[in-house]
Amino acid sequence: MASGDAIVGHVVTFGRVLREAGLEVGPGRVTDALRALEAVDLARRDDVYFSLRQTLVSRHDQLAVFDRAFEAWFLRAPVLAPSRDREPEPVLRAVEAPADRSASVGEDEPEGELLELGASPQEVLRDTDFAKLTEDELRRVRELMGRIARTRPTRRSRRRTPDPRGERLDVRALIRRSLRTGGDPVDRPLRTRKTVPRKLVLLCDVSGSMDSYARALLLFLHATVGAGRGVEAFAFGTRLSRLTPDLATRDPEAALARCTAAVVDWGSGTRIGASLREFNEVYGRRGLSRGAIVVIVSDGWEREDPALVAREMARLARAAYAVVWVNPLKGNPDYQPLAGGMRAALPFVDRFVAGHNLRSLEELAAVLAGIERRHAA
Amino acid sequence: MEHGSIDELERALRDADYLPDRGLATALYLSLALEKPVLLEGEAGVGKTEAAKALATTLGARLIRLQCYEGLDMAHAVYEWNYPRQLLHIRAAQEGTVVPGPDGRSVLESELFGPEYLIRRPLLDAIDSDDPVVLLIDEIDRADEEFEAFLLEVLSDFQITIPELGTIAARRRPAVILTSNRTRELHDALKRRALYHWIGHPSIEREIAIVRLRVPGVPERLAAEAAAFVRGLRGLELAKPPGVAETIDWAMALDALGRRELDAEVVQQTLGSVLKYHEDIEAVRDATLSRLVDEARAAAASQ
Repeated sequence: MASGDAIVGHVVTFGRVLREAGLEVGPGRVTDALRALEAVDLARRDDVYFSLRQTLVSRHDQLAVFDRAFEAWFLRAPVLAPSRDREPEPVLRAVEAPADRSASVGEDEPEGELLELGASPQEVLRDTDFAKLTEDELRRVRELMGRIARTRPTRRSRRRTPDPRGERLDVRALIRRSLRTGGDPVDRPLRTRKTVPRKLVLLCDVSGSMDSYARALLLFLHATVGAGRGVEAFAFGTRLSRLTPDLATRDPEAALARCTAAVVDWGSGTRIGASLREFNEVYGRRGLSRGAIVVIVSDGWEREDPALVAREMARLARAAYAVVWVNPLKGNPDYQPLAGGMRAALPFVDRFVAGHNLRSLEELAAVLAGIERRHAA
Repeated sequence: MEHGSIDELERALRDADYLPDRGLATALYLSLALEKPVLLEGEAGVGKTEAAKALATTLGARLIRLQCYEGLDMAHAVYEWNYPRQLLHIRAAQEGTVVPGPDGRSVLESELFGPEYLIRRPLLDAIDSDDPVVLLIDEIDRADEEFEAFLLEVLSDFQITIPELGTIAARRRPAVILTSNRTRELHDALKRRALYHWIGHPSIEREIAIVRLRVPGVPERLAAEAAAFVRGLRGLELAKPPGVAETIDWAMALDALGRRELDAEVVQQTLGSVLKYHEDIEAVRDATLSRLVDEARAAAASQ
């Protein structure tokens, strides 16, 4: 090919453009792209387009970025960077506490004793409403949350693993071992089903009415997502944002800063029904909620039609293993679930718990660990 | 059968009763040319599985399908020993004596773990085949992540190790098609190994052509109206928008009823072949249904 070098240069540059736009384009992919271009007719623009797309993109949500870059590359139009209208608000920046680690109370606590914190400062902290926490307290709360979040509901896997007290005979092992004894089975190797964590889906309301709780609850989301596979986190106000990739960073402050940037409608109004519908349609339909424990954190103030909340909750509850609703307002002894959205949702909720302080999150962890399917009856 | 260009492959697929768009034809062609697996993603019912079947037909290859599900393990995906036969053999051998063979293992053991006691599951079958094979790994997103890791290994080396028999390497690489409904993101390492193609819903012209190809003898007008109606359904916010597979089923049902065109009554009676959720059927009734029928008839008339 006469223009071989020119093509290599083009594709390498294009790969760099894509990398800048946030795609993971390694040398392996660029090599594949070049091999693909060798196999197709370069005069046909659609063949070139698909060859590059199929070798350089591997996720559906990157297609739009690729298309924009491809247009720019071919038509020499400037690349429009995806822009956010709003600057990330400094809400969560405030979590960056002074670096004085020795002030941290939770630090010396031995692992595994999370529910036995006897000392009084923690006791006070556990009962303090999140809305009233200072920055420093919030930082200490974060450490305690990490331990609570490790409690995960489990389900039985279909896979079996060797276990001397198992319930099923491991015939393969039986035959192997029986050979040592001339074909007589002496040992009885057994297998049992493994227990694996159940999928956990967290939907957190970040609308204006939840503002004072949102940052504490996002810390909780971060700790939970960090607790292992199979956890998905979303934020919603007027629309839904998926937070799992943003929360996957180890450092809580960095993760929270990314979340603030990712959530476009921070502190706005609430459209619970519409957000749930978006969840059901985009993620639920792909099976995310099937067999999962879905935890919704919201005060239930719906600005629009409560009937939509009821309809979408019904859909969600049918697919999910169990639905838990965490309402910080429930921490107030005088609270009655009168808000229209809350009332509409309650019939489809398996467990209704408070979430205004650490103690209530401990309760939530206990509920999650022991939850049984109830609404299926 | 080799295909020298995308055009040729496109024609061959058409002859196998499958109408690919240019993107899918390119993906399948590159997969063969680059000897890389191709991952097809898209909504349910857009023809991911059918694409693999059609490709196998055009290549004159055997289609081996591995349907993934949660808990899929080696015994069901790769191989398993035939325990009942092994036990019978042990019983029979007990009558005689167990003699050590030249390699030190007992004759009984080398007999017991021989190929005749091996049950081949799809992956081993595909690797250990002398004939051309198209390996379809269907709905990989439903398998556990552990299985995905194992699959990654198989797809990089195209060999499988059975402790009792040794390593079996592919003598000819099977063409590999993976499909996913995107219930979860697949592991990056697996994606790096594969070409990626997203299949969307087809254009109206192509959908009509697909229906006419798959339902021979369907009245042209009925095919156009059905395709236009389904297209209208996809514009509504439904729990599960119908795919091409549903359009084909529905056109077959309408054709079997002897219909030549749509009307509100027959749509109401047969809506169950298009919409599979109770809420969706509830949402498409009376006024909405009549409106969609009218629009579909108008659209088909202007085709």
